[in-house]
Amino acid sequence: MDKKPTVAEKTVVQEPGILRESVIAPLVTYPIEVVVPKARQQTPAVGQRATRLDGRLHGLGQTGYIDDLAFPGMLYAKIKRAGVASARIRSIDTSEAEAMPGVMAIITGKDVPCNSFGPSLKDQPVLAHERVFHAGDGVAAVAAVTEQIALEACEKIKVDYEVLTPVLDPLESLKLETPGVHAPSANIYQSKVIKKGDIEKGFAASDFIVEGTFRTQMVEHVPLEPHATIAMWDANGRVTIHSTLGRITLGRADVARTLAIPISRIRIVATIVGGNFGGKNEITTEPVLALLSKKSGRPVKSVFTRPDEFIASTTRHPLIMDYKTGVTKDGRIQARKIRLVLDGGAYCSWSETTLGKACILSAGPYNIDNLYAEAHVVYTNKTMTGAMRGFGAPQVCFAYETHMDDIARLVKMDPLDIRLLNAFNEGSLSPTGQSLQSVVVKESLLRAAEKFGWHSNGKGSTNGNANGGPKLLEKENANGNTVRV
Amino acid sequence: MACMWYPIGFTVAANPSSAVVKMDEDGTATLLTGTVETGQGSLTILAQIVAQELGIATDDVVVVSADTDATPMDTGAIASRTTYVTGNAARMAAEKVKLMLFDVAAPMLNVKPHQLEAKDHKIVVKGYPQRNMHIADVANHARVVTGEPPIGSASFNPATVALDPETGQGKPFGTYVYATQIAEVDVDDETGEVEVLRMVASHDCGTPINPMLVEGQVEGGISMGIGFALQEEILFNDRGVQINPNLTNYIMPTSLDMPEIEVDIVDNYDPTGPFGAKGVGEPTLVPTAAAIVNAIYDAVGVRITSLPATAEKVFNAIQAKREAELKQLPA
Repeated sequence: MDKKPTVAEKTVVQEPGILRESVIAPLVTYPIEVVVPKARQQTPAVGQRATRLDGRLHGLGQTGYIDDLAFPGMLYAKIKRAGVASARIRSIDTSEAEAMPGVMAIITGKDVPCNSFGPSLKDQPVLAHERVFHAGDGVAAVAAVTEQIALEACEKIKVDYEVLTPVLDPLESLKLETPGVHAPSANIYQSKVIKKGDIEKGFAASDFIVEGTFRTQMVEHVPLEPHATIAMWDANGRVTIHSTLGRITLGRADVARTLAIPISRIRIVATIVGGNFGGKNEITTEPVLALLSKKSGRPVKSVFTRPDEFIASTTRHPLIMDYKTGVTKDGRIQARKIRLVLDGGAYCSWSETTLGKACILSAGPYNIDNLYAEAHVVYTNKTMTGAMRGFGAPQVCFAYETHMDDIARLVKMDPLDIRLLNAFNEGSLSPTGQSLQSVVVKESLLRAAEKFGWHSNGKGSTNGNANGGPKLLEKENANGNTVRV
Repeated sequence: MACMWYPIGFTVAANPSSAVVKMDEDGTATLLTGTVETGQGSLTILAQIVAQELGIATDDVVVVSADTDATPMDTGAIASRTTYVTGNAARMAAEKVKLMLFDVAAPMLNVKPHQLEAKDHKIVVKGYPQRNMHIADVANHARVVTGEPPIGSASFNPATVALDPETGQGKPFGTYVYATQIAEVDVDDETGEVEVLRMVASHDCGTPINPMLVEGQVEGGISMGIGFALQEEILFNDRGVQINPNLTNYIMPTSLDMPEIEVDIVDNYDPTGPFGAKGVGEPTLVPTAAAIVNAIYDAVGVRITSLPATAEKVFNAIQAKREAELKQLPA
């Protein structure tokens, strides 16, 4: 360890080809030969292409994910899903399931001490009680000695529903006359506005006005490891929960609230999680498992199936995005008006953050003196949307950057040049008035263009494709043309 | 082409991280952190940050994470915040350990503590590298002679200013990162199928603590972005029930869909981050879909305004464009 590596050695180790060679290890040989790649032994440590602390364990299958853990007497849990998007629950009959050999505990919404949670609005039940708000809502949970018995028991639970008409379209949901998904609460459950300068003045100073509407879809995180939990109580009345949570402290507070027990009686362990992408930033089945474990007196495990993952975990917000931009003939953006409607699904989850980030980022990394952006998130009876890698940013980037290419074509500018002309500089004021530091958007544009061969690739022309370009509408104003793209 | 900006950390709301660092008698350290390794390599990054501050190697740092009984408070693996927020806390905790080591080493080297630095497993007198002690000797001395086992804890929370409810003006985030991605695509104008051939991705993350892990994040983000751009979509029937909740009918990219990816890390340094670092997790997929959809336009002259740009959608747009062109032909 005290052998100081020479500069020459460092150079060799940082050579990608050599590094790979040193990382490739034979499959398990006994006694286990520990190969420590050199980059992990170098100083200074920052900047080293050090292999991951957990990489070797993953590679050799030695990582203990929750599905790999087992405790004596452990049971397996399954949650029965509603399968209807909006309904009133008339009754739940668990008697036949409870009589099955091997079924050790069954709970429903009425067994949850405090049946609501959420990172901002506490509008999500742990298990549905009286009402179903989306098809993935859990209505009952079973712990049994095998997964198969738990599954069969779920099928024997009879739920009598009064099926209601679901609200599915976010633009319908936005209308005041649409019935409230969570009546008496309004369907628009959060809004945000950002105002800067005077957009009317900005549009008046523009030569062209370009408009566009953009939409994005609902997608899943699809982590390799689905949501998984093991809960077990000890004789002191403390519960240990092994969980795939990405936020253990918030998770512990939420579990404490739903179980109505002190935080000090809960331990959450989430040492290794097989992919998060935002989908594991709040509790899902942890309280259910804790209650099943308490009722049965045994450790209980649950691992989501892939369908569970799709229908009962959060997803990415679909957005409907209206953009209107005023630009001068020489490509300077004068004003931008944006309206975002987020499909919030059945519960708030991380909508507040997604709405906020989408709204703040929606104008793009550009100096726009006159800006008005508003964003609204609405309830629908669909799978809840929540945190997902980018929190609304991939959606608005799709809008502002394809919109930008449309603008470039209209003013006959290269897409690179119009971006460089309008992009933030060091010290630029963001849409919220924040003075920005360490700004390198132009550097990233120029470097990417150079690496790509932007100008040698037939790009750099104005791509003046008249047929494919935005169509000029007949409507004109004194300052120029309104273009609908 | 598409560029983007993306913030690090929560929107205004407090999102602190605490960290504890302790050093054993052999000069290796342990970091306790409440953040969760979710596959992104964050624990390795944190180990590198602690190692850098203490002048030791990545391999000399053991990381204990994500146990509410054992590890200090952390807001968690969310909002691309671990390198920046938890990294700052870990660096500051390690700095406290370092200062304890300096206090112990200073009289042994006959200098003042501020004349010392931690470098290459040694506590060294600045400017006089021959005057040094091995860090293990100092740590051991602190334990068994002076009775001051080196340990430090620290917390960090990004400085923000609440947004005005009327105008949205304020400082929602500590810092932001920037990036550009450019896509080269092949569009089959008979079927509408889009193949992404190449992506160039120039990303700012401040100082890259570990360039290999930055590249990994970018490559992973692009794969997610390709799915968002071209393939993935949860579909519902008219009663609000998902009709494709499985990987047979919900199509996402596989290794066969991955293009050639050139990752470029833009030189940058953010004075508020640990050793100038910011973050890179989420931003890597932010511009991908826009870059691909702009490349589709460049290839076949049709503008797709709703994602995903499936073969069906692209094909229909190409057909509509051809029909419009036919109508424009002079009689």
